[in-house]
Amino acid sequence: MFLTLQHDDKRPIYQQIADGIKALIARGELREGMTLPSVRQVAGDLGVNLNTVAVAYRQLQDEGFVTVRHGAGAVISSRSPHPIDGAEMYKPLHTALTELVLRGLSGREIVEAVREQLGLLQQKRGTR
Amino acid sequence: MSVPSVVGVYIFTICLIVPVLVYALVKHLWNQPLQNGPGYFYGIEVPAGFYEGRGRSWLKGYHAMLAALYLACAVALGAIVATRRWEMTPLWAGGFALLFVPSMFAFQAWTRHKLGVDPPVRPVALALASRRLGDYISWPAEALVVALVGLSWWLLLRHAGAHFDWLTPLLWSWVALGFLPGKIATVRASWPLPTERTEEHYRYQDAMRRNSIRVMNLYSWSTVVILFGIALGHGGWSAARRIPWLPWSVMGVFLAVWGTMMVAVFRGERMAATVGRDLIPAGSWRTPFRRATLMMSNSRPYLIWFAIWFGGILAFLGYALWQGQLFK
Repeated sequence: MFLTLQHDDKRPIYQQIADGIKALIARGELREGMTLPSVRQVAGDLGVNLNTVAVAYRQLQDEGFVTVRHGAGAVISSRSPHPIDGAEMYKPLHTALTELVLRGLSGREIVEAVREQLGLLQQKRGTR
Repeated sequence: MSVPSVVGVYIFTICLIVPVLVYALVKHLWNQPLQNGPGYFYGIEVPAGFYEGRGRSWLKGYHAMLAALYLACAVALGAIVATRRWEMTPLWAGGFALLFVPSMFAFQAWTRHKLGVDPPVRPVALALASRRLGDYISWPAEALVVALVGLSWWLLLRHAGAHFDWLTPLLWSWVALGFLPGKIATVRASWPLPTERTEEHYRYQDAMRRNSIRVMNLYSWSTVVILFGIALGHGGWSAARRIPWLPWSVMGVFLAVWGTMMVAVFRGERMAATVGRDLIPAGSWRTPFRRATLMMSNSRPYLIWFAIWFGGILAFLGYALWQGQLFK
């Protein structure tokens, strides 16, 4: 299972790592109880600072996606992510929609794109 | 049947090493810079027409370096044969390795400096599989290595005579025990995975990692056999010293391990040449966060380990030379 990091992505590296892992959880590729590689291994493989990976793992832990156990490393959490209120939950969606509107996509095109992406996500989950 | 002498053991060793060296030269080393095809030189992408221009002279230079190394090896062997100083055989074999390994590293580093300082940046894939030391290194086997080295030293310290050359077991112990940090560095080392054919790159990388560790294991065991043999011969109990076949038995076990190691080395070379040929070479691109590396052996932890381990061997040999123990 692999996580891809783009060279032209404007997000900080730790965010790309955290988002990538979340996407794998959403697609069902990373499942409850699976262990993530150690911070040292990820930092070494990517060639980034240990703190960068540690920040990404801490963010995932804070959001409830992983549990960090001493000696066992970061394990994909069995619990659902921490509950957040409605406005907070739709914040990323609002940001993404704003970006698409600013790029000139019509309402229908946006809805179709969202449906298509959702379909892909569900299809991948369903195959597992 | 007469008992073969120690000289016979040395001659037998030479007869085995020479064909292996020739095979390595012809089959693997001569065209090693071209192992990724004509679009690359030592895994670094080269422009079209490279081999009509400076590539040709580089290749000539590489061949000249190999020829000089092998010539030095042949001259040294000739001197041993002519003077019948068979006891110099280990120095001859080790000396060639000492000359060969840094020369190849230096040539690769020079190639990287001249060609690959600024390869293109590509997106990178990160494998989310954990690499635990225990999945690659057998701790019981490591414990056995330490136990045998300890036993050898116990025998030597109890029974070796006052004029015993302590530098030799020290050197072999350093070589044998020094492999463990090297194996740890190899498990931790990696080169970046491209986003195309990632699974194949990952499997290839892992296979190369396992093969490197296998070679180190066998190398370590071959030195343990020599050390244990020295301990039995020089420091061992008196019964062991009277076994006429002891040198041959030790050498037989050593050569069996050494032969298996050479098979592992050549298998790794063949895998690198066949499986790795169609994959993007590590040295031909870099990630947004990491400079291009030639292979796992170019990772910083591995290079630090190698510098210390190899530097230690050189220091031992330099000290022995200074003390005049090598040419007694």
